Amino acid sequence: MDWAGWAVFGVAATAALTALLIVAQMAGLTRLDIPLLLGTFLTEDPDRARVYGFFLHLGFGQLFALGYALGFAILGTATWWLGAIFGLLHVGLALTALIPLLPGVHPRMSSERAGLESRTVLEPPGLLVLNYGRETPLVATVAHIIYGVVLGLLINPS
Amino acid sequence: MTRIEEYALLGDTRSAALVSPYGSIDWWCLPRFDGEPVCGRLLGKEDAGQLVIGPVLPMDVIERDYLPGAPVLRTTWRSPTGQLTLTEGMVSSVIGRLMPSTLMVRRIEAVGGPARVQVRFAPRQEWRGDRLRLQYAEGRVIARLGGLAVAMLSDPPIRLENQESLKIDVRPSEPLTLAVTAAWREPLVYVSPQRAWQELCEDADRWRAWSQDVPADVPFRSAVQRTLLVLRLLTYSPSGAPIGAVTTSLPEEIGGVRNWDYRLTWPRDAGIGVAAFLGLGKTAEARMFFHWLLHASRLDRPRLPALFTLAGRRVPHEQLLDDWPGYQESRPVRTGNAARNQHQLDGYGWLVDAMSIYAERQGPIRGEAWRAVSRFVDYVAKRWPDPDAGIWEERHSPAQHTHSKLMAWLALDRALRLAETHRTRQTKIGRWRDARDAIATEVRSRGFNSDLGSYTRTYGSNDVDGSLLVLPLLGLEPPDSPRVTGTIDAVCQQLSAGGPFLYRYPPGTDGLPGGEGAFLPCSFWLVQALARTGQAERALSVMQGLLDLAPLGLFSEEIDPTTGRLLGNFPQALTHASMLQAVLALRDAGIHE
Repeated sequence: MDWAGWAVFGVAATAALTALLIVAQMAGLTRLDIPLLLGTFLTEDPDRARVYGFFLHLGFGQLFALGYALGFAILGTATWWLGAIFGLLHVGLALTALIPLLPGVHPRMSSERAGLESRTVLEPPGLLVLNYGRETPLVATVAHIIYGVVLGLLINPS
Repeated sequence: MTRIEEYALLGDTRSAALVSPYGSIDWWCLPRFDGEPVCGRLLGKEDAGQLVIGPVLPMDVIERDYLPGAPVLRTTWRSPTGQLTLTEGMVSSVIGRLMPSTLMVRRIEAVGGPARVQVRFAPRQEWRGDRLRLQYAEGRVIARLGGLAVAMLSDPPIRLENQESLKIDVRPSEPLTLAVTAAWREPLVYVSPQRAWQELCEDADRWRAWSQDVPADVPFRSAVQRTLLVLRLLTYSPSGAPIGAVTTSLPEEIGGVRNWDYRLTWPRDAGIGVAAFLGLGKTAEARMFFHWLLHASRLDRPRLPALFTLAGRRVPHEQLLDDWPGYQESRPVRTGNAARNQHQLDGYGWLVDAMSIYAERQGPIRGEAWRAVSRFVDYVAKRWPDPDAGIWEERHSPAQHTHSKLMAWLALDRALRLAETHRTRQTKIGRWRDARDAIATEVRSRGFNSDLGSYTRTYGSNDVDGSLLVLPLLGLEPPDSPRVTGTIDAVCQQLSAGGPFLYRYPPGTDGLPGGEGAFLPCSFWLVQALARTGQAERALSVMQGLLDLAPLGLFSEEIDPTTGRLLGNFPQALTHASMLQAVLALRDAGIHE
């Protein structure tokens, strides 16, 4: 497996994904803020949370890139379109399971069942993360496809 | 037909129901406040849905009130053999346990002798395009409506066989308890009626603990406690967003067209409510709202939308539901709200004011929150000269509303106060100060009518506006200034609807056919204005007159001043928030009942 490629390009792909999400936020397309979601596991201060979350996201991005690299190695090929397919599977998992399930474990995320005594303040993402804006699934899909394409183009399958 | 003021509110901070004095749930939207009604009898035909438990024959209501400090309603009827009592509520705290997200509990018991009772389970026949399917068993009936399921369990078990009323005898010491649960896109969780009752009692204890810490020096303390409960019930806990009201399209005139959807969040109304929460020491609720607003407004900053959905999404387009007859034939019934795209300047003022109160009490606001406030205020400094739709969301052309300018002044003034303790560039402070001073100069010249001795509704107008009653609270003019007292007098004179009631603007000037009632928040603003200008006795008298209107402590938006019937969506957050603000003004002025 291409360990060096994984180490370098995993970071590059995650950076590309994060950058695209930030651009989409700035353009008013989505309120999905993965560094904030991750960082608020550790702190309530949104500014600090984004810093911690950014590095956590890089770490998770690297872990997912390992999965992509293994997939390429098993199939013996790495192309942009195979990376895009992996990206689609990845975003499908993120939108239907990873992010919507966060309210069950996130100490500061509210839940659809929150009531009188709930003091959690971070809005729950909802199905397909639609609570963070109607275009969120589209933005997340494009970002993950780009993540996959970057890895498909740059990681050596052998 | 049940009058609006006869309805009582049951809620769990995620959804809410309106129950009539005869035990009929006539309004209940699921899975949350802004969902479709499962019980829509309030606005719909026979098949629009209702759940009933109550006396078969008409009986006099001898007592109807909430249990102290809790949103649990108790209704007692006089039966031929004694009394019949219905105790009901919804369970709010369900997190962390295998409990249904929605659980309504209703227990009816006879005292003195047996009483004939009817039970009816007839949800709406069609919900989001899915036909109702019912499944009956001993002690249980389940309604399935696409992804939604509603179950009613009974103890002792009763067997319903259709959607007609089942009539049974309830004997003393053998109460009938119903647990109504609902599930949306998840399995139903069955709760035995006995456990549901226990859960309701424990939930009531939690509510009592929450509401009992209202400061002792607050006048009308029990009414304040009740109003706080209402405002909390109207706050959607999963996001922290307060809704305008539980209903859509309750008319501002019986048979009229002013029927709007209020199951949405207005940052303006929320700002008023948050300031009231803060005034009463409820900082956690204020914090929840600010977090939600910061998150919700991200896509639109620096513009602050006039309204949001509960999840902070853009509000859907307004739709007319032609097949709904409306409350007492008041058509159209609307969903969504066309004010979604309006430019409303006043919302910024309420919000920044609430933020400054929060910062005063809780210390500096955090970086992101301050950056958001700062961008809102930059926007106000730039856009304040533009005409806007105003606080009343008028649908004709935008105008130069004096109240909007006053609130823009408030936003800039409070932001300048905040800037003293928050890092802000001097150029920005200079820009805000220039804009604030320019607004003051312009409003004093163009928004004031010397002949009337009053500020006016719009620049150059001869009309006044109920919203100008906030003038003494702002600090633009000293409270004892002739301009302030003159405005209060002119509003009371021009807009009086008799007694403590005021129209919000001169009737018939909003471009819509028909009329409307007196606007209750204006009356509470009058109390505030009177308290701030040293007219204690009059303030108390108006306040007492208003509180007497609502024995259950529930206010709608308007009232018919001739019949005393409440009008408009119910219960309405703005009215309740204004009531709390009025009480705080009385307290601050050292006025007690």
